[in-house]
Amino acid sequence: MSTETQSEDVTSRGFVERLRASPFLSELLSNRLAVVGLAIIGGMVVTAVASRLLLDAGALSSSQFGTNPSLQGPCGERAIVDIFASAGSCGSYPFGTDVQARNIFHRTMYGAWLALKYGTITVGASTVLGVGLGTLAAYYGDVTDNVIMRSMDVLLAFPALLLALALVAIFPEDWGLWRAVAALTLVYTPRFARVVRGAALKVLEDEYIDATVALGAKDPRVLVRHILPNSLAPITVQSTLNFGLAIIDLAALSFLGFGASVGTPSWGLMLSNGVEQGLLTGQWWWSFFPGLFLAVTVLGFNLLGDGMRDALDPRMRETVD
Amino acid sequence: MISKRFVIKRLLLLIPVLLGVATFVFAILHLSPGNPARVIAGQRASEEFVQQVERELGLDDPIWVQYGRFLFDAIQLEFGQSYSIQKGTPVTQVLSDRLPVTLEMAIYGQILGILFGIPLGIISAVKQNTATDHLTRVGALTGISVPIFWSGPLLILFFAQFLGVLPTSGRIATEYSVQTITGIITVDTLLVGDVDAFVSAARHLLLPSLVLGIYQMALISRMMRSSMLEVVRQDYMRTARAKGQGVKITTLKHGFRNALIPVITVIGIQFGTLLGGAVLTETVFGISGIGTLLVSAIRVGDYPVVQGTVLLFAFLFTLVNLGVDITYSYLDPRIEQ
Repeated sequence: MSTETQSEDVTSRGFVERLRASPFLSELLSNRLAVVGLAIIGGMVVTAVASRLLLDAGALSSSQFGTNPSLQGPCGERAIVDIFASAGSCGSYPFGTDVQARNIFHRTMYGAWLALKYGTITVGASTVLGVGLGTLAAYYGDVTDNVIMRSMDVLLAFPALLLALALVAIFPEDWGLWRAVAALTLVYTPRFARVVRGAALKVLEDEYIDATVALGAKDPRVLVRHILPNSLAPITVQSTLNFGLAIIDLAALSFLGFGASVGTPSWGLMLSNGVEQGLLTGQWWWSFFPGLFLAVTVLGFNLLGDGMRDALDPRMRETVD
Repeated sequence: MISKRFVIKRLLLLIPVLLGVATFVFAILHLSPGNPARVIAGQRASEEFVQQVERELGLDDPIWVQYGRFLFDAIQLEFGQSYSIQKGTPVTQVLSDRLPVTLEMAIYGQILGILFGIPLGIISAVKQNTATDHLTRVGALTGISVPIFWSGPLLILFFAQFLGVLPTSGRIATEYSVQTITGIITVDTLLVGDVDAFVSAARHLLLPSLVLGIYQMALISRMMRSSMLEVVRQDYMRTARAKGQGVKITTLKHGFRNALIPVITVIGIQFGTLLGGAVLTETVFGISGIGTLLVSAIRVGDYPVVQGTVLLFAFLFTLVNLGVDITYSYLDPRIEQ
């Protein structure tokens, strides 16, 4: 037991030390904007996990007449509308309630869980598919390369959101958000495949690949042990930047009615309900808060992704004189 | 400047891509659940009637026959008739009615994006790592992060609801009826010389274009900044300075011109994003363009319209990319090799 902990300590210390020594990480952490992005993402992850554990998903999806006050504005608005309103009454409903008397604060918090969960799955799936196709295309070249990359070209010939809309129609409606995940995975895969193929082609030129092959390494070993780890940097940047995009696009599909099923506390659907029913009648808070959370989350990923790209491309840091 | 061979080669390369696109669209619609014959016949129609409709449409033919017919029709820009949205109207007619609406909005959005994005990018690059630069960069990142379907409602809330100075939706106030000439309403009103109608149309267009423009501006200023930073490090910039040319002239004459090349590519590529954004903007502002057409066609299962719209979008997108490639080779002749 003790030896096990010890060896674990050694490896973990080695890992931390290695991270500290990495110029990429120190560069990233010295970038204030990237750190802000990291903090936003951290905050959202905590919110997501906490609301998943603490909130009752059923109560968030079905109408709550009788339980909650119907049509209550957010705290700030109450204060403006009725300056003498008792301060305590808005405590449980800081964002007010919606058309079904549901607590918008809780729904928005839970939306973070949905956005991060489905966003992660979308980005994860398209990264895996894209990395697979991209490395295969680069490594085998010729016909394999042509078949893979030309099919990717066809997918890239469509504007992203429109392709997603067309694809969503294939999947059964009762899939809910999974329908959007499936469509967007197919939309993003070609972008990853392109980036990975480019990175892998660069790695393939390096002499250590020739050396590995000369030593008798089989294809899978060369691909997984050598090409993949060395093209990891552009993949990570692409994934991070794509994360923000995935969260927006998932919400957009729900907003247009091709994602989350009715009642789900997803940001896109809340925005759609708020814009359709509440915007022109004065219930601005129905769409404002979900949209704010959506925008801040996406900003977090974009700040981090940008910082990562700058950290990888040192030329961008020099000043112009 | 541009060799004919290059243009011809690029045009020939379009053929396989467009063929792939058409095949893909055909496949998607055949994989979609739901029977088009059922959509046409109506939910309560008898099974025999549905089968009769199927025969009339040729939906009972083998798949490769249908595919061949689809390709043959597509080449002649013939996409059949709408099943339910505008029942009986040829899809090409529906599309040509709606396309100008979307294009108008997209073009104004793009113009706003370019007008503000390029200067902001240059300022940001010239003043790299100053407060101005940081502010512009954070502003641009925010512009990219804020979804259109949130910024749109916010602008409606502020300008239409709170200030009450702009209309919330539609293309023009109901009291004006403008004869359709080009379909682009701001142009049509001017052609017939109705200034009041033009002002009304422009006021309706302002918010939708602004929403699209903010996003484009953010993207363009980011690209312009990094492209400028790349160019100022080139040897020819140092040479120009060494010859005694002033900083401002060097930046504008040598820096800006060269830095613009990749920005043009981005503007072209982002045209697709603009079209995607149009779907959302049209939904938010209640404008009946191609975007809202696609959304409602998917919803009711009007397959010929879905097919036509998606193909049209892909075609426009591919064409713009071709235009970008050719412009690029004109600006930077090294590309051809």
